[in-house]
Amino acid sequence: MTATAERVEVPVPVSARHPRRPRRGITARPAALWGRRRAVRLLVARDLKVRYASSALGYLWSVLEPLALAGIYWFVFTQVFTRTVGAEPYIVFLLAGLLPWTWFNGAVTEAARALHTEAKLVRSTNVPREVWVVRVVLSKGVEFLLSLPVLFGFALAFGAPLDWHLVLLLPGAVLMAVLVLGVGLLLAPMVVLVRDLERVVRIALRLGFYATPVIFAVSDVPGRLSAVFALNPLAGVIELNRAGFSTEPVQWSLVGISVSAAAVLLAAGWAVFARLERTVLKEI
Amino acid sequence: MPAATDPVVSVEDVAVRFHRGRRHRSLRDYLIRGEGGVRRDEFWALRDVSFSIGQGETIGVVGRNGQGKSTLLKLIAGVLLPDRGTVDVRAGVAPLIEITGGFVADLTVRENIGLTAGLHGMSRAVIGERFDEIVDFAEIEEFLDTPYKHLSSGMKVRVAFAVVSRLEEPVVLVDEVLAVGDKVFKRKCHARIEEMVAEGRTLFLVSHNDGDLRRFCARGLYLREGRLVGDGPMDEVLAAYADETRESA
Repeated sequence: MTATAERVEVPVPVSARHPRRPRRGITARPAALWGRRRAVRLLVARDLKVRYASSALGYLWSVLEPLALAGIYWFVFTQVFTRTVGAEPYIVFLLAGLLPWTWFNGAVTEAARALHTEAKLVRSTNVPREVWVVRVVLSKGVEFLLSLPVLFGFALAFGAPLDWHLVLLLPGAVLMAVLVLGVGLLLAPMVVLVRDLERVVRIALRLGFYATPVIFAVSDVPGRLSAVFALNPLAGVIELNRAGFSTEPVQWSLVGISVSAAAVLLAAGWAVFARLERTVLKEI
Repeated sequence: MPAATDPVVSVEDVAVRFHRGRRHRSLRDYLIRGEGGVRRDEFWALRDVSFSIGQGETIGVVGRNGQGKSTLLKLIAGVLLPDRGTVDVRAGVAPLIEITGGFVADLTVRENIGLTAGLHGMSRAVIGERFDEIVDFAEIEEFLDTPYKHLSSGMKVRVAFAVVSRLEEPVVLVDEVLAVGDKVFKRKCHARIEEMVAEGRTLFLVSHNDGDLRRFCARGLYLREGRLVGDGPMDEVLAAYADETRESA
């Protein structure tokens, strides 16, 4: 408490640490967010700490759900029914779709209520409010990356064809992050204002699972309907995820649709977030 | 009184509107019409408020309950945004508002100190440097590895005050936190605030205690029904406030 007096002589160049948001400009918000990336890192680290350090089964939990689902679908579609969809080995095909789906599902569910869950923190710290959504997207993203070794394990065990397309996992993850961030920014403020939306989101995700090529491929959908499935922005992400485990050519058109959809969603999500922020702050 | 340098805080024609009722406008309203137009169930928590504060000024904010004092502090802290007008804060802010808000029940005191300090912009190195000071101030050494939720409410406030009051931000906002805690801790808080004022920081204090206001603040802001009705030397503002309170009593 004694060494405090000399502090004020330097009236603290805080503007560097607390870049106050300029009022205009499309880059202002991303810049402010980038300026407080340390806060994001802290929160993501905290999430992972809670997840991995506090329970003995920590790591297992994050892969258990996709593994169990993969097991069930594998049983139903190869043992009960005669499978005509997907690719060989089916379990690898399934996991390569289920792991990104788990990320999407978990992140969207949590991002939708991100501002609610952390209401106290939102009210008492002036970090850019986007932080609360970004933090969810990244926490779930890290869990996704940590679950990839399981996918590789299965691929090796079942002799899946591996090739250089595995590098596409990386752009796939980036694309997913952008997509989830867009959806999250769109939903988080709306859920604060209209609580019912949270339920709508949960139901939409349930249905969305079957509208997403996880247990089948877009090319398995008959006729003109396959065009509809191709419009699902997750189709491109999953295509990138599966590319390294298959000899089929990559459907770049799916990826193109995904990239455009992710960009549009991010822009729209951020615009809505900015628009509703002031009202949301009064409501939480 | 206004400092020769540029103001640290300038508030211009600021207005904030709240809803009185529970459910009010549809999402479509928010998105399409934005924040235009007042509805019947809305009221202005602040309106037409303008002032500017120079580096090192000490401001006491007075007014009866529900007249906009906390709203004003939240605007300066940046956790609330004005519906009209501009709030320009040109320096970092240490907000002693809802100070326990940022703490996570399930994490230990140690983890919470790191997290909250980090969220308020303290670097890891500075946290390390200040850690012992914070622990000493809060007198919490034996409970460092206790989950925050197991602390008594007095201890919680102590930890929170210790962390946020160590932030090296040039603007300090204090919202009636002094009302909590026992006598000894209150004295420590006062000493800490005096120290910060002596360092030349800018202080905003919301309080109902005339003694505290006179002791820490040179300039007073008086809010009534969301409007700034007094801005001057603390003593004069307190006198005006006392007159009004007597009239309405």
